[in-house]
Amino acid sequence: MWRLRRITESEHAAGWAFAFPAVCLIFVFGLVPVVWSALLSFQRTNLIAPGQWIGLANYKALPHDPLFQASIVHSLIYTALFVPLSVAGGLLTAVALNRRIRGIRIYRTAVFVPVVLSTIATAIMFLWLLDPNFGLVNYLLGQVGLGPYGFFDSATGALYSIVGMTVWGWIGFDVIVYLAALQGIPQSLVEAAEIDGVRTWSMFRNITVPLLGPATLFLVVWSSINALQLFDEVYLLTKGGPGTSTYVVVYYLYSLAFSQGVAGYAAAIAYVLLVAILSLTLIQLWVGRRLVYYAS
Amino acid sequence: MKRFGVSVAVILTLLIAACSSGGSSSGSGSGSNGQVNLVMWMGYTPPPPASQGAEYVALKDIVTKFMKLHPNIHIRMEYVNSDYALQKVTVALQGGQQPDISYQYGTNMPQIATASQLVNLTSIVKQPKYGWSDFVPGERAVATVNGKVYGIPALVDNLAVVYNKTLFAQHHLTPPGPNWTWSQLAADAKAISDPSKKIFGLTFPADGSETTVWEYEAMLWEAGGHILTPDNKKAAFNSAAGVRALTQLRQLQQAHALYMDFHPDAGTSETLFNSGKLGMIITGPWDLSTFPDVKYGVQIMPSWDPGGSHQTIAGPDNWVVFNNGSARVNASLEFLQFLTTPANLLQNSMATGALPTKLSVQQLPGFSQFNVKYPGAGTFAANLKNVVQARPQVTQYPRVSAALGREVVAAILGQATPQAALNSAAQQADSYLVVP
Repeated sequence: MWRLRRITESEHAAGWAFAFPAVCLIFVFGLVPVVWSALLSFQRTNLIAPGQWIGLANYKALPHDPLFQASIVHSLIYTALFVPLSVAGGLLTAVALNRRIRGIRIYRTAVFVPVVLSTIATAIMFLWLLDPNFGLVNYLLGQVGLGPYGFFDSATGALYSIVGMTVWGWIGFDVIVYLAALQGIPQSLVEAAEIDGVRTWSMFRNITVPLLGPATLFLVVWSSINALQLFDEVYLLTKGGPGTSTYVVVYYLYSLAFSQGVAGYAAAIAYVLLVAILSLTLIQLWVGRRLVYYAS
Repeated sequence: MKRFGVSVAVILTLLIAACSSGGSSSGSGSGSNGQVNLVMWMGYTPPPPASQGAEYVALKDIVTKFMKLHPNIHIRMEYVNSDYALQKVTVALQGGQQPDISYQYGTNMPQIATASQLVNLTSIVKQPKYGWSDFVPGERAVATVNGKVYGIPALVDNLAVVYNKTLFAQHHLTPPGPNWTWSQLAADAKAISDPSKKIFGLTFPADGSETTVWEYEAMLWEAGGHILTPDNKKAAFNSAAGVRALTQLRQLQQAHALYMDFHPDAGTSETLFNSGKLGMIITGPWDLSTFPDVKYGVQIMPSWDPGGSHQTIAGPDNWVVFNNGSARVNASLEFLQFLTTPANLLQNSMATGALPTKLSVQQLPGFSQFNVKYPGAGTFAANLKNVVQARPQVTQYPRVSAALGREVVAAILGQATPQAALNSAAQQADSYLVVP
């Protein structure tokens, strides 16, 4: 009896009890789907009729699927461009915004607005702006003798147009994280460096950037996960096209599972993606632990 | 103990609150007093105030009329965008929350037919009151999977060429006649196009979706080609007929006479046609009301050779019934029978401009006003006789279509030759077709 009393009165019990609703939600919307899609990946199913168990056949078919390979290549190109551009762009913008000038709050808000806007709204806006025949951007480029460019409608340019649009859309998030981190740089270090006559560039290179290491690591990991899961923009803007030029992994598995009735195979792709993202994140954290300086 | 008690109370309150708000929102069944509550998914247009779509209003009128005649049946109309009706129903079936009646595209039928909750209508539609043989043959084919009837035709349309009479007159072109050919269409399109003024002869949906594919399939059939082999085991579109159709589109694109519409859902082509920027648009009767600002004519699809086939493709959609107990199934069938009586079909056609799904409606005295009220719709109604083939009713069709759509767009853009693109699509399609 005293044991029970000790358990119920402990901090642990109260803590778990308060966390219980959140744990339930994570269990229902996180863990159950993860296990369920693992089971699906060993089946042939359209989600409507009962599935058939087919062992590893879905996984064995993956290496022979040219569209899966194309989707991986596109996802990797996208990630390789999106992550450095948004993180570096976020850093430079944050440093530019980290000063006391008139109207700084307006600039900071302006940079963050795209993050809060819904993707569907920004997608439609870019669709109109970048229309090859009737868009404002091509009209302005035409005035100075350039273009017209196909942007989302061009097989060679569509993926890069999506990179541009998503960097614009997400850079505000990187800026906010970096601005917060910039507040954490000890003023004493900066003053000491100034007294020693350190120039602006050298200060940025040798003091600011290293001290922002933890923020950079977080942003690189977070942006990479996000980039490998690219879906909304492709779904709204290009549907994987023109041709196959913007097929990325998540769009491909979505179209398989929900419009083509091949849910088991799609689940296998989802699992390959899960393992890929998990490995990439572990590598990034492992490398990061060696490179990043944690000021305590 | 006290602290634990408080947290338990908090959790219970939260859980009860969470459960009570989500429960029993669609669990309406037949009540003890014989009252039957039905849920019907329809996706023509959102209900007002989102839009004042004539389709919604017309359907609502018939539902109201039906409920007056059957006071014990209540039908709740829920808007589900038809493009996502298959996804929605997939999820609903997983949770046992399927509607009683759902509007579904014909291309969804083979997938849906695998659901055990779908009601097999084969013996039911044999009853004379359903007038099954009065439905257009192409509709009946699409309502049927493996010889079993699963759908009641909800809508039928077909593709024809809508052209801008003013642009044709400006360029001194003869308006298309019923015996016209693709080479005539191509010559007209090139004559009308003027890249400097952003005027294009013809528009083509280029998102690679079924919208791309069915337009291409009509051209394929006119050229004597087929989508799959007769046993549905292999792709057949990479034939000389398929190449001929795709080469034509590629040539028009090279001549800057083809507007590649990468977002056909966004309605850009319709807007351009209505602004006099497009000479021709291959579309169905549903689009006619979006062209109030231009003088347009409607002509059936061209043939490839003089005197050749002018066949077109129909995209019949169906009402399907899911099993939520016999009382609700019977009430649903009662309603669908009422919805498809010739008199109600005529009322719906006159209110919306949709083609009547039953042929006998065209013989009703009131039908003569149809083409007066909706200029050009009469051509589409008459064009139903050119619907002689249906898309293959196999579960793999959506995946085959996606492959074909990707490759058709790639070939039009010049990323591959028509033959190479079609061969690649056929190779992909064959690999999908071997999997049951």
